[in-house]
Amino acid sequence: MGQRRKVGSTNTPSSQSESADASKVHSRKHNICMVSDFFYPNMGGVESHIYQLSQCLIEKGHKVMYNQSTATTCFHSLPLLRCVFVRERITVVHAHSSFSAMAHDALFHAKTLGLNTVFTDHSLFGFADVSSVLTNKLLTVSLCDTNHIVCVSYTSKENTVLRAALNPEIVSVIPNAVDPTDFTPDPSQRPPDRITIVVISRLVYRKGIDLLGGIIPELCLKHPDLHFLIGGEGPKRLVLEEVREKYQLHDRVRLLGALEHKDVRGVLVQGHIFLNTSLTEAFCMAIVEGASCGLQVVSTRVGGIPEVLPEDLITLCEPTVRSLCAGLEKVIAKQRSGSVPSPTSIHSRVKNLYTWKNVAERTEKVYDRVAGEEVLPLDRRLRRLRSHCGPVAGSLFALFAVLDFLFLLLLRWLAPDRHMDMAVDATGPNGLWKENRKNSDAGC
Amino acid sequence: MVLKIFFPQCCNRAESGLLVGRWISGHDSAVVLAVIHYPFIPAQVKQYIQQMQAQSRVDLTVLGSWSLPKDGQEGMESFLRDLSTIFPQERWLQIRRQFGKTGFSCEVLSRDQICGKNPGEKAEKKKKKSEEDGGDAEREDEEKVIFVHYEQRKVMLSQLHPVEAQESGNGSEPNSELRQVFGTVARSQPLFVLDRYDDGPLRSTHWQSEGREASIVVELLKRASVPLGLLLGRMLSVWTWICSARILSVFPLRFLFSKLSTCVQLSYRTERLQTLGAPQAAPQAAAHMDFMRKANVLVSVLLDVSLGVLLMSWLYRDQNIAMLASNMVPAADRVAQKLEELLQWLMGAPAGLKMNRALDQVLGRFFLYHIHLWISYIHLMAPFIQGILWYGGLSACLGLTFALSLLSDMVALFTFHIYCFYVYGARLYCLKIYGLSSLWRLFRGKKWNVLRQRVDSCSYDLDQLFIGTLLFTILLFLLPTTALYYLVFTLLRLVVVLFQGVLHLSVDFINSFPLFAMALRICRPYRLAEGVKFRVLCEEPGTALHLLMEINPLKCSSVVQTYRTPTYSCYPRDSWVALVKKLFIGELIYPWRHKTTKSD
Amino acid sequence: MEDEAFSNISGKAISLDCQTHSSFCREFTVSSPKMSIGKVMVYTCSVWLLAYAVFFFTENTAVLSSAILITLTGMMLHIHFVKVDHESLLVIGSLGIQVSSSYASGREVTTFIEMSRIKDIVINEAVYLNQIIYYLCVLLKEPSEPNVVSSVVPLFQSSKPRLNCLAKVYESCQEILSKCQ
Repeated sequence: MGQRRKVGSTNTPSSQSESADASKVHSRKHNICMVSDFFYPNMGGVESHIYQLSQCLIEKGHKVMYNQSTATTCFHSLPLLRCVFVRERITVVHAHSSFSAMAHDALFHAKTLGLNTVFTDHSLFGFADVSSVLTNKLLTVSLCDTNHIVCVSYTSKENTVLRAALNPEIVSVIPNAVDPTDFTPDPSQRPPDRITIVVISRLVYRKGIDLLGGIIPELCLKHPDLHFLIGGEGPKRLVLEEVREKYQLHDRVRLLGALEHKDVRGVLVQGHIFLNTSLTEAFCMAIVEGASCGLQVVSTRVGGIPEVLPEDLITLCEPTVRSLCAGLEKVIAKQRSGSVPSPTSIHSRVKNLYTWKNVAERTEKVYDRVAGEEVLPLDRRLRRLRSHCGPVAGSLFALFAVLDFLFLLLLRWLAPDRHMDMAVDATGPNGLWKENRKNSDAGC
Repeated sequence: MVLKIFFPQCCNRAESGLLVGRWISGHDSAVVLAVIHYPFIPAQVKQYIQQMQAQSRVDLTVLGSWSLPKDGQEGMESFLRDLSTIFPQERWLQIRRQFGKTGFSCEVLSRDQICGKNPGEKAEKKKKKSEEDGGDAEREDEEKVIFVHYEQRKVMLSQLHPVEAQESGNGSEPNSELRQVFGTVARSQPLFVLDRYDDGPLRSTHWQSEGREASIVVELLKRASVPLGLLLGRMLSVWTWICSARILSVFPLRFLFSKLSTCVQLSYRTERLQTLGAPQAAPQAAAHMDFMRKANVLVSVLLDVSLGVLLMSWLYRDQNIAMLASNMVPAADRVAQKLEELLQWLMGAPAGLKMNRALDQVLGRFFLYHIHLWISYIHLMAPFIQGILWYGGLSACLGLTFALSLLSDMVALFTFHIYCFYVYGARLYCLKIYGLSSLWRLFRGKKWNVLRQRVDSCSYDLDQLFIGTLLFTILLFLLPTTALYYLVFTLLRLVVVLFQGVLHLSVDFINSFPLFAMALRICRPYRLAEGVKFRVLCEEPGTALHLLMEINPLKCSSVVQTYRTPTYSCYPRDSWVALVKKLFIGELIYPWRHKTTKSD
Repeated sequence: MEDEAFSNISGKAISLDCQTHSSFCREFTVSSPKMSIGKVMVYTCSVWLLAYAVFFFTENTAVLSSAILITLTGMMLHIHFVKVDHESLLVIGSLGIQVSSSYASGREVTTFIEMSRIKDIVINEAVYLNQIIYYLCVLLKEPSEPNVVSSVVPLFQSSKPRLNCLAKVYESCQEILSKCQ
């Protein structure tokens, strides 16, 4: 326990001290540390959410830095996280995604260090199987003294409140957003003589790729002018390849492999219908992107998806092959008869639904509220853990909290705060970059 | 820009004269090579420089003047300035050293200053005055010069690493400034032949080689080595002719030769010796590498042979061979007996494991029979062993490596039974593992797609599934018995392979270790330079910066890395993980060197 | 010529000696604290006590002699290979940069980097064990591709000075480099 292992290059926090006013800390400006295991260059909803949110917050003059890691145990991340928090003068720690081990670590340690915390949950969970029971318990513990929780949809809020046994008042809903300027329709890209269905997701079980494997042959048999365009990579790719070979659909089902975020729009505009087969989803950004590009959206009725788009823009089906096929048939028929709204009209409706500016403003309000709250001292924290998380887990984690605190004292004795150099803010409106180009990171 | 002047240490105390050297283009630096003393006739100097230029292919020029006034010698200044009109240059350096002072002072005159003589002279005079007053303007001017002192002999002889292949005399100049300096000094060797004590028309100061007598000895040795080399070359050509005879390249023989380490070592040695006779490579850098390679090969062959002779002298003393031979057969007997005991143990219930009795018995008897065969073979051989050893020992006179290779071969032959056991065990085990893995796929409704190299799903009918499952169960229950035999014999085999590996490693070490380069690094560290290091010399206020350039010798590890003679690598072909994986799925492992893994 | 006291990242005192040989030639020397006698005594005593304890039970004198040998060789190796007494950086405008570190035994390791290979000198951040530190480094380029950083040579690797010390060195290095370009 508490071994100080060498943190290798896998643990490199890509610290991007991007904007600042460090010298005169304004009461409304925060130094925020985003913590998650997921970040660029990987592609996905959580990653782009963190990136876009950070960019918008930086524009508003906050200082945001980012921390990422892949392998963590309970204690060894404390020294490094402490170093980051102290150096960058962090005031609010914002953790993302309940799948991320580092996010939980950071929440736990931030409390030990006396910082306010915010958590954003991006996914839904069940209650039945062993893994979700354990994850839920962990979530209960780490969220029990988190100041505020952000969920991406009302379904997700309901789910999180139930899982983590939270007071619903400290949970707010701030949906994800898409950049409407990135996803504009372009009907000229669509091939005129066929109908194309676009699927863009990671090819994993959670995204319902097995359903897709059932849908493809059935629809392709009925409609000879139907084409599928599938972007993404994953272990379930084999299923699609087998289907393609078995039914000889090489010219009609195209697997594009992993796509970069900038290439997504180019794929989306080639299609008429966007299909989402997810089995569980808190807030589906993909369907918003699809709709923003002017596509007809067909999706499964799971999780937070029904609240994402207005009903006339989306066709919802049950997560079964038959229901999805029926839904798709309906949309294809509509498409053939030409009774669908034009892509530009769809785009103009979706455009103002979800914007990052809005998200950033709402998140800022959360930070403002959180920054005013007091951080529980150790004894009250322990009592709260005991009372909130049940006798066994509560006591166990209370013990962890005490150990963590002792470890922190040890660290403060070994490497006092005054021996750490404060981070120099290189770029930004008040940065030092132009004055004496102190920290030219990439060598110009 | 700052002007850098590379100045040889031996010219520090030279009498006044002309500086001969070279401007290095693109770097704003000059290399001084020698000082030609007064008195001289300018036409002769020009002729001499042209002659040197032709010999060394360095564009030598007169850089400027050097003055070190002796006591009471004055009034040299105007004469020196006049010299610049005789030897027209882009820039004219005027280096002065006051007697009793350590620092130099330098003036740089550009061409227009020289040509427009009258105004120039005035300016110079003004300058001179201001210098004597210690004026600020003059000091600023002076500080733009760095003197880098170097030791001419060491720089001339040293070779900068890493050696660049394209660094040839007439080709494009290397980009690095230091390389150009080193190259210039090394190539202007003909300049240094001019003797200080000769009564020629010119007198000059530069590095002077001492001890002509030693070079006579070297010359004699060179002369003597020519017929010796010829003789060796003739013998080698006869030997290669024999080797290339057609009868030896028939399939079974060639296969055998490639597996016997003695033969491999023989061919390797022949190849190395052949490179000794190869003609000298033309460009300078390649010539250096070539020379080092040849020297390394020669020294390591000599060391090898001397070690071999030492071994021989021990072998043929006090009946050592007979003793070895008489110990050999009982040792083989003992090994066989131990193996038999091991097999008996395996045929029962080894370590309390319950094996499949029938299979166990069959396998055990099979291996026992083999041991029996082997023992009778050894006993048949027993009378000849001493003879074999005696003649084998003779091979040590070719070198220790030959003796070691022969030993490795003999070990391979004497442990042939272990190899056989291993192959039988491995094949059986491998078959089972393959069967099990494919049946396990059948079990899950999958199959291996050979065309696409991946696992596909497949629907089997009932009979196939039934038969498959039956076979799977049978194989699964028979697996432990086979695995046990496989494990035991693999361990035995690994011991033998390890021993052979150690032998091969030592042979390889002797073959490839760059002994000559290492000795050179220890005795003459400046010959192999990794780079340079600078030390700041004296600082007198008002004089230019003086640096001392020393040679940074190459690190021992990089000496080995650079000059290692390429050999057949005898390390395992694959990584340790791959090896363990191979062992697990029952593929055969070999200790043999493979020609494909030749490292170059 | 001035001698200033700074501290390194673990709070120990180090001194920066800045010598100006000429307007384009400066030498920076960072000296680490000397090896403390107390530390040496503690290590030696602990090894010897341990050896004596083993000797007490085994009654084998070889243990004692080997303990003495181990401490001696350990100290020698430490002095020769580990303990760096001072590190220096010699910047010579238009010629190059020389990095050298001398060990407590007097061994000196020197590298000279030519100006044609130097792209820039920068201060960078890195994760070092469980901390994030600033360090000074020389960016190298290949002459064939002048816009690509081919490798990085970190400076003052063993003394690890803090940012204020690094900034001082950095500023005067940049001064020389910009003057000689």
